[in-house]
Amino acid sequence: MDKKGINTIEISAAREMHSRTISARFPQRGNANSGSTSLPNSTVLPSASTAASFRKPLPMRHICNNPNNPPCANCGTTIIPSPKASLPLEDNPQITINNWKISTRKKPILNSKELDDWESNKLKGLTLPEMIFGNNEILIENKDKNWGLRFNALDALKEVKLQDSGVRVSYSNKWLDSKHKQKKMDNLDIDASSLKIIHNYDWTYTTHYKGTVFALNGEEQAPYDFHSDDSLQLPIDKLSKPDKILFFDDMILFEDELADNGISILNSKIRVMNERLLLLSRFFLRVDEVLIRVIDTRIYVEFDDNYVMRETKVFEGNYNDILSKHKLSHSHDPKAVLRDSDWVAAHTPLLKRECEFIRFD
Amino acid sequence: MNVDKTILLLKQGKHISEDTVYSLCLKAQELLINEANVTHVDTPVTICGDIHGQLHDLLTLFDKSGGVEKSRYIFLGDFVDRGFYSLESFLLLLCYKLRYPDRISLIRGNHETRQITKVYGFYDEVMRKYGNSNVWRYCCEVFDYLSLGAIINNKIFCVHGGLSPDVDTIDEIRAIDRKQEVPHEGAMCDLLWSDPDEVETWSLSPRGAGFLFGENEVNKFLRTNDIELITRAHQLVMEGYKEMFNGGLVTVWSAPNYCYRCGNVAAVLRIEDDLSKNYTIFEAVQAQDGVGNAIIPTKKTQMDYFL
Repeated sequence: MDKKGINTIEISAAREMHSRTISARFPQRGNANSGSTSLPNSTVLPSASTAASFRKPLPMRHICNNPNNPPCANCGTTIIPSPKASLPLEDNPQITINNWKISTRKKPILNSKELDDWESNKLKGLTLPEMIFGNNEILIENKDKNWGLRFNALDALKEVKLQDSGVRVSYSNKWLDSKHKQKKMDNLDIDASSLKIIHNYDWTYTTHYKGTVFALNGEEQAPYDFHSDDSLQLPIDKLSKPDKILFFDDMILFEDELADNGISILNSKIRVMNERLLLLSRFFLRVDEVLIRVIDTRIYVEFDDNYVMRETKVFEGNYNDILSKHKLSHSHDPKAVLRDSDWVAAHTPLLKRECEFIRFD
Repeated sequence: MNVDKTILLLKQGKHISEDTVYSLCLKAQELLINEANVTHVDTPVTICGDIHGQLHDLLTLFDKSGGVEKSRYIFLGDFVDRGFYSLESFLLLLCYKLRYPDRISLIRGNHETRQITKVYGFYDEVMRKYGNSNVWRYCCEVFDYLSLGAIINNKIFCVHGGLSPDVDTIDEIRAIDRKQEVPHEGAMCDLLWSDPDEVETWSLSPRGAGFLFGENEVNKFLRTNDIELITRAHQLVMEGYKEMFNGGLVTVWSAPNYCYRCGNVAAVLRIEDDLSKNYTIFEAVQAQDGVGNAIIPTKKTQMDYFL
């Protein structure tokens, strides 16, 4: 076997390179410690006038807790999770605005040990999707209110039903008919049970996951929960403004190719602006020739108002009905639109919409 | 057409003319038509799993495992789709097959079909590279001639997906008429599509088509055919390989960092003369052009004002 341990010299060299890369991202400062702050390991960045005068100065309010990222607006550019280091040095980009802290984490798919644990303990009874980015996470936390909201694959997969989804691939009937016929003709010794589904679970991995609310201090019950009010609308005008994005991340939580019968994927992304944030967690399902399903959860936070809104939308429709809405395509690949979840969500009938909110006192 | 010259071009990911592809595919068909559905292979041999158009990782694979000039290889299928170099990967394997016919065996995977390649990337790739689908059609013709399995020293059975309830003995696979598009049902379909699972008996996949098989079926197949091991590919494994059912079955996966974003390692399995097993693990390479620019587009986070 070719597996070798990591050489310590390589580690130090890589660490050094990594820290050089990080420090190089900061613009030169007047004083090394000009941004002293009460928060340990945090850097309050110098005011806009010293660093970047090319942009209208923003009110000084956000803190880059973990500066392992391209610097924030005050320093010149946007915080985007940093490039992957050559060793598994974990990058955990964060930003703080008022009492709100937003952080993300991205790592490779689960290994066999983790998968075994999930399959035999955490998600017993579920045949797991092919790719699980089980260590990926988006966290929105409010320290003062002891309240947090997280998005991760484990909690999302916990909502996948352990029963027959009722959905079958397009050629299922044909396939089953031929098996039944063949059995009669050849008298083959396939016992009848082989044409039954023994292990039932929702193979489309449909999840109505809306994120996990939790208490920061570890208590079981979070001090605040959402109140339902379907009449609420997201403030599209505010969210459409081209406010500078201070922090952005986009990640897959899990994905399955449905044995080449389409795709099932849960993707979450977040953008943080000076006054608000928007998170979109989208479950996208396409069973070729059969079904399209999109389940969107949007989280909107208005920082100054300490206000959180959560909207969920379920779209579902027949595969061919939706494909037929795309008439203009003369390309060699008219089905390409069905790989674009934005197009699909806009052309699939809305089944259900729900809205809820929290206003922290 | 000069095979050695084509190999050199392919290794650099350079364009191959439509005419060259045509004659290459024609020659490959002439060669493959003479092969049995289940080819006999002698040890020592290296077994490789899914490649999925990751040309640069395929080159690493040969590099790490001795190279086709010196070693024997069995490829378990899924040469194309998903990656950006399906055509080059498949043609390179075909060239090796022509150049060293007894040193490389190519087994058909479920992606080596017209229907699947139209959806999962190979067809698009050819359209992008040639502006027409001719080259795709030539390759699909070759797909129809690929073997369905291999047997090493009469002791180790190799297949892309798994077992079929229609197949008790390896001789029954030899009787299949394989020169056709993979059908939606029957033994040929099952061999390319089925998956092992913790099930007591043959079981229908919850998707409504395709079989799952468990330890009992594996043991029965091993006993009936007097063999020791089934090697298959078809499913992504983070560590590159996964042994199941008390070592009666192993999944080998040879596409590192699958789809350029999974972060998995890849493996090949070498079977020695005494049938002992040796896994070689390898990681994805960052392919670069002559001046050091990455030529595989990395999945970089793209900032956007989504709503």
